[in-house]
Parts: sequence; C-alpha cells; structure tokens
Amino acid sequence: MGANRLACLVVGAGAMLGAAGVAAGQWRDGAQVYEKVCAHCHEANVGPVLKGRQLPQVYIERVVRHGNRAMPSFRPSEIDDTALAEVAQLIGASAPAVKE
Amino acid sequence: MSSNDRTLPKGVTAADFDKAMREIRAIVGAEHVLVDEEPLAPYNKIMMPVADAQHAPSAAVMPDGVEEIQRIVKVANTYRIPVYPVSTGKNIGYGSAAPVQRGQIVLDLRRMNRILDVDAELCTALVEPGVTYQQLYDYLQENKLPLWFSCPAPSAIAGPVGNMVDRGVGYTPYGEHFMFSCGMEVVLADGEVLRTGMGAMENSNTWQVFKWGYGPTLDGIFTQSNYGIVTKMGMWLMPAPPDFRPFCIQYPNETDITKIVDALRPLRIAMVIPNAVVIAHTLWEAPCTPVKRADYFTGPGAIPDDAVLKIQADHGIGAWNVYAGLYGTKETNDANWKIIEAVAAGTGGTIITEEASRGSQALQYRFDLMKGKPNLGEFGLYNWRGGGGSVWFAPVSQAKGTETLKQMKMAKEILGKYGFDYVGEFIVGWRDMHHVIDLLYDRSDETQTKNAYACYDELLHTFANEGYGMYRASTAFAEKVAATYGPVKRDVEKRLKKALDPNNIIAPGRCGISL
Ligand SMILES: Cc1cc2nc3c(=O)[nH]c(=O)nc-3n(C[C@H](O)[C@H](O)[C@H](O)COP(=O)(O)OP(=O)(O)OC[C@H]3O[C@@H](n4cnc5c(N)ncnc54)[C@H](O)[C@@H]3O)c2cc1C
Repeated sequence: MGANRLACLVVGAGAMLGAAGVAAGQWRDGAQVYEKVCAHCHEANVGPVLKGRQLPQVYIERVVRHGNRAMPSFRPSEIDDTALAEVAQLIGASAPAVKE
Repeated sequence: MSSNDRTLPKGVTAADFDKAMREIRAIVGAEHVLVDEEPLAPYNKIMMPVADAQHAPSAAVMPDGVEEIQRIVKVANTYRIPVYPVSTGKNIGYGSAAPVQRGQIVLDLRRMNRILDVDAELCTALVEPGVTYQQLYDYLQENKLPLWFSCPAPSAIAGPVGNMVDRGVGYTPYGEHFMFSCGMEVVLADGEVLRTGMGAMENSNTWQVFKWGYGPTLDGIFTQSNYGIVTKMGMWLMPAPPDFRPFCIQYPNETDITKIVDALRPLRIAMVIPNAVVIAHTLWEAPCTPVKRADYFTGPGAIPDDAVLKIQADHGIGAWNVYAGLYGTKETNDANWKIIEAVAAGTGGTIITEEASRGSQALQYRFDLMKGKPNLGEFGLYNWRGGGGSVWFAPVSQAKGTETLKQMKMAKEILGKYGFDYVGEFIVGWRDMHHVIDLLYDRSDETQTKNAYACYDELLHTFANEGYGMYRASTAFAEKVAATYGPVKRDVEKRLKKALDPNNIIAPGRCGISL
C-alpha cells in the first residue's frame, strides 16, 4: 500500500515535470547555483574559498566560462548568463565564510 | 577575426559552413548557436596533454528536443559537417565538452534535462541527456523517494546518460552503469528515431524493465561509439537499503594488494560485497585528505617511496585503502560484517567504520559516493601537482592479486621514468578490475605536457604488449587505443558506421571509428 501511494505521487510529479518542461539550464537564483555547483569544491576544502574576497564580478564570470587550470569551464547551457551574473555578484559581495 | 583563423570542419568551405549555421539557427534559435571564439571558450577547456587547437570546436549548438536534433542532422548531412554530441560535457580527463577532432560542431544536449519518469514501484527512471546526478538526487529527495542510484566521482556536475554512453562506473551495487541502463532512444544519422529493446513496440510499458526486446540487442553499439545520438535513457534505481554500512580497510604495504584482491574477490563474486571494491593507493588518498605534495617533495622527478611512507605515517593513510559497503538489513549486515572483520584480521588490514571516519575528507566523499550522494571531493586530486593537467590511464585486469601487483609495478616504472607519480586505484568490477591511474601533470609547463603525452603513449603500448587493453580512453588517444584491439574489430565497426552514418557526420574519430 505504501508503495502504491508513492507511485501515485511520482506519476503525478513526473507528469507535471513533463508538462512544465522544467525551464532548461535555468536556476531559481544565484544562491542555488552556488549551493549546487560551486560549493561542492569552494566550500569543501577542494577549490579556494571565494567568499569574502571581494572578487570582481567580471573576473568570476570569466573564470567560470573559461575554467582555470584544474577548474572546469561551465557553458551557458549549464549556467545561463543571468544565473551566472547573480552568483558572481553574490560571491563578490559576500562576507568571509565564518570558521567554526 | 579574419576568415583565415576560423576553425572550420575539415573540408568544409566557410561559405557552406555559414549557410549551414544559418539553417541551424532557424531550427534552434540564434541564441542557442555559438560560433565566435570567446563564447566557445568553455567548449575548448581540456586537461589532456595536447594543444587546445587540436580539439577546438567550430561551433556549439544547443538543441532542445528530439525533433530539433533530427533537423540538425539533416543539415549536417547536406553540408557534411560533423557534430559531436555531449550530454553534460564533463568527461574531464577523457575529453570534457571539446570535440574529438578539431572543427566539429559540439551538439550540447545539456538543455534537454527533463526527468521524464520515475516509477517508485519498479525502481526505474527515464531521463534526458542533460539531467545531472545532482538534479536526479534532488528530485528523489524532494519527492521523498527512498531510491538510490550509482554515480561517478564528478557526480554533482556530470550526468547518467553521458556517463553511461562512455561506459563509466560508480560505487553502489549498481556501479556498472551500462549494465543498469534499460532502454534508449537514439536519433540516427539519417534523422530516424530508434527506441531500443521493448521501446520499439508502440504502446509497450516494459521499456524500462526488460532490456532485450526481440532480435539483436542494439544498446551496446551506442556506447563508446558514434552510431547515434542518445536522447533518452532508462535506468534502474535501487531501493535505499534499511541498513548501509560503508567501510575502509587500510593496509600498510604496497605488496599487500596481492592478498587483498585474493581475499575480497570471492566475496565480490558471491555478492556478499555487492558494490565495486575500490583499492586506492596512498597517493590517491593524500591529495583528497588533503596533503600537499610540496610539503614532502620538491625535487624533480617522481615522488620517492620514502616520502610516500612518511605521508602514510603522518596522516594515517594506508599503502592501500580498500573501500566497500554492506547493503541490507541490520540482520544480514551484522552477519556479513563478521565476514569482513575476519577477512581484515586474516590479511592484516585495519577497518575504519563510518563512525570512526568522521573528520576525514577522503573517507567522507567515498562513503557518500557509495550511497550515490553527489559531491566533487575527488577533485582534490588536482591539488597534488597543480596546473590542471590530467589524463586517465585505465587498463582492465583480472581480479587476481598477482595481476594487480604486476600492473602496478609496470605503471610505476614508466610513470617514474617521465617524472610522474603513481596516483592509482583498482576498482573491482566483478571478476575484472579497472586499474585507474590519473596521470597528473602541470599543463602550463610545456616539458611536463610533452612528457605526459609520451608517458601515456608508452604506458598504452607496454600494457597492450602484455595483453592489457583500456576500458576507456581520452579523445586524444582514441585512435591509438582502438588500434590495440586489432583489425577485425575495427573493420566491423567501420562497416557499421558506413551502414548507419554513410556521410560520417556523427563524431567521426570517437573511439577511433571513422570512414
Ligand atoms: C576527479 C575525477 C573523477 C572521476 N571519476 C570517475 C568515476 O568514478 N567514474 C567514471 O565513470 N568516470 C569518472 N570520471 C570521468 C568523467 O568525469 C565521468 O565519467 C563523467 O560522468 C563523464 O562526463 P559526462 O557524464 O558529462 O559525459 P559527456 O562528457 O557528456 O560524454 C561522454 C562521452 O560520451 C559521448 N556522448 C555523450 N552524450 C552522448 C549522447 N547523448 N549520444 C551519443 N554520444 C554521447 C560524448 O561524445 C563523450 O565522448 C572522473 C573524472 C574526474 C575529473
């Protein structure tokens, strides 16, 4: 019974996704891009910390599009221009990450 | 830019190319076609030891939908312009989103990122090529579905379709990804749409549950090939187990690998251990711990063994670090845990449980991968040398202890000759092992880049002479790797190419296949 309920929920969600077509390559906002992409390295002791360094927005945007040494490049199909501008702005204006 | 420095597909005039691009713009919309150098930069970022120019695209096209792709291949046939499909385009160290040959148009499918269906009862999914593992993970979480999938290490930014068509691997019991795919939709070079397996039959509802259909099973020919553009893929998901117990067993000596493999193989074949067992060398663990190479060695050449021993001692890293998990109920895992403890004790290994691992970055990302939780922890590898050079060397071996030691020694010797470190791991598939070595070098250093190329070349040919073939290879070495598999196989591949893609328009050169 539990499984059936789940199936209904999924079919419903699936149908909805299909119809809405999930605006491709689009993000809710820059914060979501940061959380789902950037943070995996830049808040995980893998890539350098970016927050609180007042990095210029154009610099961030350029590094994201071109990649930098081991950092992969990200295409507009992955992070659209609007979302990229938002995340770059957010990083540039951020306070330093608080160390616990 | 003068028309002279334009990157054009081989044998295509600038006038024809421009005409083709106009037609493609009309299909996908001008904003989804890139032809200028600056916007194309993300498609030319590579880590392989060859010049960027060798893999420069002439354009990138971002279609959204099967029908658009059908129309694009028609244009490609008219003007004989090759298209190189990528799904999420993160085949990093094997090629990324850059085309296999200079001048090809990248067909970037990342916009096609719909999760079309998830069936919680049958534990199946149907996805488009642009779906990332992170997206699928979030979808399952948000909908509170107790389902897991298997993913490769760059899971947060890569996706199931691209990984499967390159026959990638992951770390849950469903880790052999092609084996756990079920049903594909493929746009062929002539624009026809093929659904494999049960999908060929109209009204069938068994596309994602029965792989074979009727007649020849075709799915395999669309993996590591260029016979079609995969636009949908079915995949099996696993029910989240009531009890999951990942573990690491550390061993003190390099030569221990012999007994490790021989002790674990029977458990893997009998499926007491249901997931791929990873046996990672110290130098794979160190950069992900993270340990800095420069703190231990700054001289020229490969890092010496005594520095490696010091790293092991200083940071509590094994010479080999074995990762696997138990997936079951508390009762079955309690029973199987006793077997694991006995094996570790009998082979001189030290077990680290999940509780004991807290605070270790290297162990945490592994344990997360073993339950299909996306992360990018393994990118720590790239801090070892720095400089962004990486090419994967990945020969297959038997899951036998003596074989691994032999392969490791061969690899270490050749890497050392060119001044590179042995950063390697063995992944016990079932009866096979993928021996995965990350040839790390500084791509901004011309000599190191040249050496990396020569080193890979020597590795490839020395291993082939011993009968060890690659499970997968970077686009820079596609032709050479294909050649190691002999002429008959290549001839058959060519005949298939001729039949399915007579104008040679889909990714010519991929896996060495071209007309
Ligand atoms: C640190 C690190 C760790 C890694 N660990 C792993 C690992 O654990 N396991 C593993 O398997 N890999 C690993 N990789 C390699 C690679 O990053 C992954 O396999 C990744 O999933 C591949 O990228 P992708 O999914 O974006 O595929 P893509 O780049 O989209 O495609 C891969 C190849 O398939 C072809 N292709 C893609 N889509 C289609 C399509 N729709 N139709 C026809 N052909 C297509 C492309 O032409 C390309 O050659 C690792 C890489 C790095 C950098």
